[in-house]
Amino acid sequence: MPFTFPHFGSLTYVFEIIFKELGRTDIMLPNKPSRKTSELGSRYSPEFVCTPFKLTLGTFIEMLDKGADELGIGGGNMYCRFGLYWPVQKLILEDLGYDFKFFPIPIYDAFDLLRTFRTISNNFTVWETIKAFRTTWIKTRFIELVDNLHFKYRALELEKNQADRLAEETHRKIVDIQGLGNLRRYGKKLPELFDKTIEIDKKKKKDALKIGVCGEIYVALEPTLNLDIHRKLNELGVITKNCISLGMLIDFGRKINPFKTLPYKKARRVAKPYIGQRCGGEAQENIGDIILYKKKKWDGLIHLYPFTCMPEIITRSIAPQVSREYDMPFLSLVVDEHTGETGFQTRLEAFVDLLSRKKDKMLAR
Amino acid sequence: MKKRVGIPRALLYYKFEAMWKTFFEELGAEVIISPETTKTIKDLAVRYAPDEDCYSTKLYFGHAIYLKDKVDYFFIPRFGSDHEVNVGCPKFIGLAQVLDSLFPDFPEIIMPYYSQAKANHGKRRLLRIIFEIGFKFTYNPLKILKAGFRAFEAQRKYEEQLHISEQQLEKWINSQIFLNEKPNLEKRNKPLKLALVSHPYVLNDSLSNLDIRENLSQKGVDIITSQQMPRSTIEDQMEKLDFNMYFSYEREILGTIMYFLENNTIDGILQLAVFSCGPDSIVLELASRYSRRQPETPLLQLVIDELSSEVGFSTRIEAFIDMIDRRN
Repeated sequence: MPFTFPHFGSLTYVFEIIFKELGRTDIMLPNKPSRKTSELGSRYSPEFVCTPFKLTLGTFIEMLDKGADELGIGGGNMYCRFGLYWPVQKLILEDLGYDFKFFPIPIYDAFDLLRTFRTISNNFTVWETIKAFRTTWIKTRFIELVDNLHFKYRALELEKNQADRLAEETHRKIVDIQGLGNLRRYGKKLPELFDKTIEIDKKKKKDALKIGVCGEIYVALEPTLNLDIHRKLNELGVITKNCISLGMLIDFGRKINPFKTLPYKKARRVAKPYIGQRCGGEAQENIGDIILYKKKKWDGLIHLYPFTCMPEIITRSIAPQVSREYDMPFLSLVVDEHTGETGFQTRLEAFVDLLSRKKDKMLAR
Repeated sequence: MKKRVGIPRALLYYKFEAMWKTFFEELGAEVIISPETTKTIKDLAVRYAPDEDCYSTKLYFGHAIYLKDKVDYFFIPRFGSDHEVNVGCPKFIGLAQVLDSLFPDFPEIIMPYYSQAKANHGKRRLLRIIFEIGFKFTYNPLKILKAGFRAFEAQRKYEEQLHISEQQLEKWINSQIFLNEKPNLEKRNKPLKLALVSHPYVLNDSLSNLDIRENLSQKGVDIITSQQMPRSTIEDQMEKLDFNMYFSYEREILGTIMYFLENNTIDGILQLAVFSCGPDSIVLELASRYSRRQPETPLLQLVIDELSSEVGFSTRIEAFIDMIDRRN
């Protein structure tokens, strides 16, 4: 019974880890979505549903054709329609004549989450499931660390593709590594490893712009959907970072640690005057990130969201005020399956130009 | 002088009309409710609202802007949910603060936040909200408390009157009673029975639904709206699903559709969806897939937005009614 799940940027590794840790040996890694995938998804999707639905549906169709028959996707009760993806996709795939089983994973309910993982797992006990989950969230920290290093060194590297290669290597190694001790030791060496392996442009490093990428989690993290925005920005010599992470959802180790405030909690706190409560998606976090990243002296923020995404339209409406008050440049971009590559690139270039001119002015003063 | 409280006639107003009006009137405030949506309000809406919001939310912006200079306070609650797990639309929660942020020249917005599902709010929170709002208008706590109780009482009565019982539903199906406008029976001897399914703020707003209720009753169609359906029937239908439909307002839409698809007691179902409404996009697909599996009762799905024309709209409804006539 091959098990599969949607492709989700570098978080695909996270999903791979969790199902491997749960003792599944029959995982089918999802294809990297292509133009064809999104066309396939759009063909069978409802008219004005958000783009992640179409892309995940496309991936599922491709994987079912390849022989997978157990599908995992997020579920549960939330403000966003994401939790209702699977019932609709199930009906659509059934009508297309596939034979499969859906495993909705309730991402907001810790107990349900464990229960679901146990059903997916290879007859694990509760304790074993918790242990598997714990390994996953610790590995997630390092996966996300590699991402951040990757987006930094790719902007500065002298020889092209070095960072890409190294990132893929290290990601793979984190997935395969056995034992938490080994993992922690390896993780500590990561920044050094990047520093040693990749030759960087020292002059560039001094005046490189830093831009955060925030927004709806799927769009911000899936390179096919956001037209690989990190690469585009890196090629313009900009250091980027993902402001949001899946770690925030699944990292219970840090969540229950009273001595640590997770960035997303800080973001929610500072966002309170503008948007007082969570309203689904990453709306509150994104508003907070504008303030937090200003304080961290980053140069700008790019906000991505899929067309018709309900919570992010709220962010988009409130963000101009926050950005004005904190003098933090903020660019909001809608993404869907029809987004043109050139138009996207032009807007990014214009934004980067604007920021670099602003920075020059500040330095000249 | 009485303080004037403005309530835009859109979105949740159609759900909590009785409660809000009673509450502020009991507090001694003058309640100013924007008029039924007019062309002017729609133009304001299209001009000022964020371009990606759904049509109904845009209309809300129109109503609020229309009221802006006529009131001292706006009442725009940030309403999350009134059920243990099921929630409303995220837009309802963000609306007040979006308006506040986009239009700094607005009068003070009263925006209590209530969400039972996500924030675990209960009766204590309600009491706090009632007092927080009340003290803006009067210093008499007894009066505030009384206003609160009367408001909930009024809402309860309104809902009791609105939601029909299962016996009434049976009677309506057997053509013993009318629930809405009496159909015009000049051209046919027996009225057609249709279920009109949509959000309350579409069903009751004759501009956004392009006057469909009048239109239907002129054609000799007897309707029941999803808003009127007995709650027990809807919950029964929802039990049959293998997932939890956690948008409370979509439950009544999907529940109504599923009930009539299953029982085949009426001639057809007409679903109105709002363009770019998130939950609607899901329910449209679910309903159409269910109807394909139980094809006896025809289902017509129409999507409305600010550009829908009345002519195109009524043509499709006429075609639908003709189709039903030919089937019978």
